[in-house]
Amino acid sequence: MIKKIYLIGNPNVGKSVVFSRLTGVQVISSNYPGTTVEIAKGYLILDNRKVEVIDLPGTYSLDPTSGAEEVAVSLLKELPKDEIAVINIIDSTNLERNLLLTLQLIEQGYPVVVCMNMCDDTVHRGVHINFNKLEELLGVPVISACALTGMGIKLLTERINEAVPAPKDKVTHQERWLAIGKIIEQVQRLEHRHHTFREIMEDASVRPVTGILMAGAIIYGAFKIVRFIGEGIITHITDPVFFDFYQPLLERLTLHWQEEGFWFHLLIGDLINGKIDFKQSLGVLTTAPYIEFGMVLPYVVSFYLILSLLEDIGYLPRLAVLLDNLLHRLGLHGYAVIPVLLGFGCNVPGILSTRVLESKRERFIAATIISIGVPCVPLQAMIFGLLGSFGGFYVGGVYLVLFLLVLILGLIMNRFLTGYSPEFLLEIPPYRFPPFLMLWKKLYFRIKGFLLEALPVVLLGVCLINILLYFKLFDYLTAFFAPVIQGLFGLPKEAVVALVIGFLRKDVAVGMLMPLNLSVKQLFIGATLLAISFPCIATFVVLAKELGIKGLVKSTLLMIGISIITGTLLNFVILR
Amino acid sequence: MKKTSLGHVKSDAKVRVVEISGGSNLEHRLLSMGVYKGKLLTKLSHIGLQGPVVIKVGRTILALGHGVAEKIIVEKE
Repeated sequence: MIKKIYLIGNPNVGKSVVFSRLTGVQVISSNYPGTTVEIAKGYLILDNRKVEVIDLPGTYSLDPTSGAEEVAVSLLKELPKDEIAVINIIDSTNLERNLLLTLQLIEQGYPVVVCMNMCDDTVHRGVHINFNKLEELLGVPVISACALTGMGIKLLTERINEAVPAPKDKVTHQERWLAIGKIIEQVQRLEHRHHTFREIMEDASVRPVTGILMAGAIIYGAFKIVRFIGEGIITHITDPVFFDFYQPLLERLTLHWQEEGFWFHLLIGDLINGKIDFKQSLGVLTTAPYIEFGMVLPYVVSFYLILSLLEDIGYLPRLAVLLDNLLHRLGLHGYAVIPVLLGFGCNVPGILSTRVLESKRERFIAATIISIGVPCVPLQAMIFGLLGSFGGFYVGGVYLVLFLLVLILGLIMNRFLTGYSPEFLLEIPPYRFPPFLMLWKKLYFRIKGFLLEALPVVLLGVCLINILLYFKLFDYLTAFFAPVIQGLFGLPKEAVVALVIGFLRKDVAVGMLMPLNLSVKQLFIGATLLAISFPCIATFVVLAKELGIKGLVKSTLLMIGISIITGTLLNFVILR
Repeated sequence: MKKTSLGHVKSDAKVRVVEISGGSNLEHRLLSMGVYKGKLLTKLSHIGLQGPVVIKVGRTILALGHGVAEKIIVEKE
């Protein structure tokens, strides 16, 4: 009786795609090792019974050498072997390397079904596999499949019951590789062919000169495209909706309303020159939706579109190789590029994915760098909205300050933190071109996640600000912090409200700076401080989860210290 | 044949692994990824002087930190 089904396989063989196919549960899958950092669970109907399916993190063998592998192996041992089935997912284009885990699973007596994934890709790459022969040699069911299209998945579910334990004598890895060599000789035929364009590009991206040129072009291009699409959505879709439709509607509805009342203040906010101003009114129905849908969402869409594309193609691990040198100086290694890039979308998944890094020290450095120096899309969108009209110089300046902070912080942490940072050891996946449907699904999934998380907080946040402002409760806080804000940072004391709200959500906080009529210098300092000071509450929660309370306190003290120093320096020295 | 560390081999060289001198944990990790004594591999590139080394083993492409590459002793075929 099968109680649980485990999906196990080497990193980046498409376990998560198979998982989504089997259970209908949508999980993020990408073309780089270590996408799955949280264990996903779902259900599959097998013989009219609901059976739990568990997507394990990738592992190269059953003797774990990293944290993620340990998790995979320990979960596998939860239940007795006759109550589970193990689906071993294999990248068909790389059979040899994948078979080590397969042999080990069979040896140790797990009931195994082998799912040869990415079968469609073997043809392009000149790999021919005799599946029947492989099934005969392994002695377990072997199913050829392509999870992206769904091919073979039905057969896979039908044959799960055929998985029966057939333990063998334990041998060493060396002996296993020998055995694998013999299997490969019998089942795999490689076609000799000229290098395809794809292979030439794969190669060029990890060579010093061509690689750096490609990286420069890709990053520059990605940035330009994100801006182009984001601005396009704003000028052609959201702005017309807000200004030509929503604003007249709101104004008509509130025509005869008493302006001074509490509810008017809460929902519409202040009228600027007798009109609703989406950027300055600060009402739950005016500024709140405008910030989220009119300023932030367009960039969230364009950023995740480009990020998802780069993830699925498999470019990010190559970037990791090129940046390994630089990141080494900061106490990290190349792979930290992945959490950092995800952090540019939203710091929460960024910090969660620091789990791909092995040592506690690296995770601390990466998480701290992300929460201080990596602005999320909502924050970036607002910085563009706020400073963009003064020219690219100021926007670029904020990024420059953040980049320098990351460098300095990294160097300092690398120098003074105890612990170790292990060496870089990473598999570079081939380029793959997933069907557009997959890309859309992922984009939809991420945007839905963003809206579900952001919208309630923004609405509640603006609500709360208005209540506090209406009853003048902020005055105490403002008076208390005024010496720091005014004296050190040169900001008006009302900016205290924005910095405090920054704890809730960064985009709303930057929005709070808009009605204050700040000079460009003050805007620059305000925006920079919002980026580096306290992370928002959601980030705070994951930081606590990932670093522990002690790590969180350390990281937070660093942030406060850095904010005060940077704010003061910017005010008195750099922007004089 | 002369033995050198993988870090000192020229790019595009085909070499055979003679020894992995980096403690059992590293040896084990490399072993499970298919890099072990006697295995043939191709060094694809080396990023910068102290940078990572990219190799091809079978159909797998691996990036190794400089420190790891220094611990893999190889000889030219």
